[in-house]
Amino acid sequence: MGHSITLTVNGTSVTKEVEARELLVHFVRDHLSLTGTHIGCDTSSCGACTILVDGKATKSCTMLAVQADGSTIMTIEGLASNGELHPIQEGFKENHGLQCGFCTPGMVMTAVDLLQRNPNPTEHEIREGLEGNYCRCTGYHNIVKSIQHAATKMNT
Amino acid sequence: MTINPKTKKKKNSLNIDAPLHVTGRTQYLDDLPELAGTLYAKVYYSKVAHGIIKEIDLSKAMAMPGVHRIISYKDIPGENQIGGIIPDEPLLAETEVHFIGMPILLIIAESEKIAHHTCEAITIQIAEKEIITDPIVAHQQQQYLSDPKTFQLGDTTTAFTNCSYIFEGTAETGGQEHVYLEPQGAYAIPNGDKSIKIYSSTQGPTAVQRTVARVLGVTMNQIEVDVNRIGGGFGGKEDQASPWATMVALGTYLTNRPVKYILERGEDLQMTGKRNPYKSRYKIGLDNNYKILAFEGQYFQNGGAAADLSPAILGRTLFHSTNSYYVPNVKTNAYSCKTNLPPNTAFRGFGGPQGMFVIEAAIHHAARAIGVDAQIIQERNLLEEGSEFSYGQKTENCEAQNCWVQAKKNYGFGERKEQVRQFNATNKYIKKGLALMPVCFGISFTNTMMNNARALVHVYSDGSVGVSTGAIEMGQGVSSKMIQVAAGSFGIDYGRIKLETTNTTRVANTSPSAASATADLNGKALQDACSQILHRLKKMIAAEWKCQDLDTIIFEENKIFALDHSQEIQWEALIQLAFQKRINLSAKGHYATPKIHFDNTTSKGHPFAYHVYGTAIFQSTVDCIRGNYEFDSVQIVHDFGSSMNRSVDLGQIEGGLVQGMGWMTMEELIYDEKGVLKSGNLANYKIPDIYSVPKEIAVQYLETAGSDLAILKSKAVGEPPLMYGIGAYFSLCNAILAFNPKATLTYVAPMTAERVLMSLYS
Repeated sequence: MGHSITLTVNGTSVTKEVEARELLVHFVRDHLSLTGTHIGCDTSSCGACTILVDGKATKSCTMLAVQADGSTIMTIEGLASNGELHPIQEGFKENHGLQCGFCTPGMVMTAVDLLQRNPNPTEHEIREGLEGNYCRCTGYHNIVKSIQHAATKMNT
Repeated sequence: MTINPKTKKKKNSLNIDAPLHVTGRTQYLDDLPELAGTLYAKVYYSKVAHGIIKEIDLSKAMAMPGVHRIISYKDIPGENQIGGIIPDEPLLAETEVHFIGMPILLIIAESEKIAHHTCEAITIQIAEKEIITDPIVAHQQQQYLSDPKTFQLGDTTTAFTNCSYIFEGTAETGGQEHVYLEPQGAYAIPNGDKSIKIYSSTQGPTAVQRTVARVLGVTMNQIEVDVNRIGGGFGGKEDQASPWATMVALGTYLTNRPVKYILERGEDLQMTGKRNPYKSRYKIGLDNNYKILAFEGQYFQNGGAAADLSPAILGRTLFHSTNSYYVPNVKTNAYSCKTNLPPNTAFRGFGGPQGMFVIEAAIHHAARAIGVDAQIIQERNLLEEGSEFSYGQKTENCEAQNCWVQAKKNYGFGERKEQVRQFNATNKYIKKGLALMPVCFGISFTNTMMNNARALVHVYSDGSVGVSTGAIEMGQGVSSKMIQVAAGSFGIDYGRIKLETTNTTRVANTSPSAASATADLNGKALQDACSQILHRLKKMIAAEWKCQDLDTIIFEENKIFALDHSQEIQWEALIQLAFQKRINLSAKGHYATPKIHFDNTTSKGHPFAYHVYGTAIFQSTVDCIRGNYEFDSVQIVHDFGSSMNRSVDLGQIEGGLVQGMGWMTMEELIYDEKGVLKSGNLANYKIPDIYSVPKEIAVQYLETAGSDLAILKSKAVGEPPLMYGIGAYFSLCNAILAFNPKATLTYVAPMTAERVLMSLYS
């Protein structure tokens, strides 16, 4: 039996029929064709599927689409505005905070939430904020630098 | 995959993928738009590690609405065989299963969910047989996947009689799950008549093509394999991307519909092989100046149930059994042991790390027994110019000592050692450990035949350029490097060049993107293609300009000019002219690494184009109450040659180091005595997270002459840094010894917190 849900996705209102058991990540990828959000582990361990739900970084494989009814969500595709990269996106790009890129959207979205809550985090706070996101390529140091780059830019 | 020309100013740190990655526009396999009519595949795999299939009940499964087919080995039109090196691995089990996770049936259904439920509705009776999970047991029963290998230099028997010190022991390294963040998968599409196009998340498109053709019983030209990029590989998609691609192709062959299969992480962990675990024995002999006179090693590789790449991995264990040291008398024997585990496979370092760990353990053992620092023994035995390896090759432009000396000097090792000594003297329950780890790694596929590549270049009539090579972008930055090569050859902006997908119809007979050699091989082939076009353009314009010497025509900054600046033409105008004059603006380049050879019967030759060197200094801190530890710093001097892209290369060092440290410390792959994977999800198989990496990673570039066989003299960088991680293990050993000088060290890796705790109180 389908359920009708209405939510705001990257600034646009969307109404869709979903199955009750549909995960939010599948809704985003399959119904909305927003494939920047990735599925890495199916067990909420890796963080590749992180998006913002009402501003809060959420692993979208841990939530049902129906639970997001009425919410405002933002995916990686909604972060840049008018072709201008968000400072966090710029940070990852400039600091080589990425390699294969599969974890990158989840990392970036987690960092957006982190800097909203704490605009001037210490290195330890950055690491604490990203502890739920795996990267198998970089060794993380450049990811920390990327977020420091963004924090500096956003604070000036 | 085009880029903004303005990025040219940051020439040495180009990353053409970054703008796509940060905006989520990068297209991985599962992001391809699906065609109408697509079906979904899923594997039913064995739940027992060894047994005879007695009965298969599909009655409930076939009754599920939306099931199209349940495919067994009987449906395979060609050969039920996917073994790359040795034909010992069926795609789908016939009468016997050999490991938990071995595919038996392939379900093709209308949706992933239906495929999933169908899988659960299948029941198979299997009569269980005895299993082997330990390579030593397999060795005792002579269960091998391939012939044992021996490398020999000098005469160890005589040399041991001249030694002042002789030590024997055992060492053991665990497996390692690749955890490429993008799981395995493939998507097949009917392409008319018998032809099938496959999108695959593979490091080896030709391996996929060859395997699919074999299983479907068609010629290779009927199978097109296309790879845009992959979300990490690390060796796990070198050979083991082929089964899934073959399955979807088989599904398409039988249904004439597009078929897709993206593995769930749990399936991926269950069904795929890992880094080969090894159990080894060593015997090391030194004179009273601590010179290693003789080294013997026996290596028992846990190959799993089929050969896969294990025989080649076994070879590299022997190539690197003496790491960065010159040992005049060496005898090493290696056995690829057959066990009832998933077929183990390539993983960054390819058996080299497993070999290096053993000699490092032997040196540590010797140092402890003699009562000197391991660093003394390491230092006195480093390779010199012209040192001979056990496989007959001699070092050229050897940087082993240079890296070691620079690391110690530049990072103030002497002072550090004293600080650590003082710290340990004043702290009872927190101890620090130091270790140095030199690395020497040979670059080339050890199978000489594989060291070749091709590239295809089209210059379009508007001056834009399309480049195809056999390289797969998996995060290592090879796409950026290829763009640099092409742009540099033509003297034009990066933004004018588009790197195409890797496709077997454009570039055939590729070697996999592996062995750290991808940029070298494909880059050199690309240079060849570019230079052919360049030569034609020069000849044409020389005739126009009445210029005699082609070398005086320069391609730079999007224009072409005579050296004396008497003539000049813009790149676009030149190409337009060439087009009008019917000049061929396309070229296919080829490269085969010169000089290399290896004789498998004598185990002697010159298998490597060159070697990469480096030294890492580790400092760890151990909590001696709990066994927990952290790494204060890792400081590296690395031989990059002349790095063509510093940020890409630095990323490889950091990432490789951390991956190697994970293997040595926290990544514990566990199979129980029934062959059941106990670390079967990412919650209980822990890879390094953002907390567990060293607080400081410092990397200094040892700018060296590089090698003419390296692309633009920029040495290969993919695998060598992984082996720095071995130093993490020995820094923990040294911290343990600072707490308990009588501790028993088993030289079993990974050194988990649990093992540290046990050792502290042993």
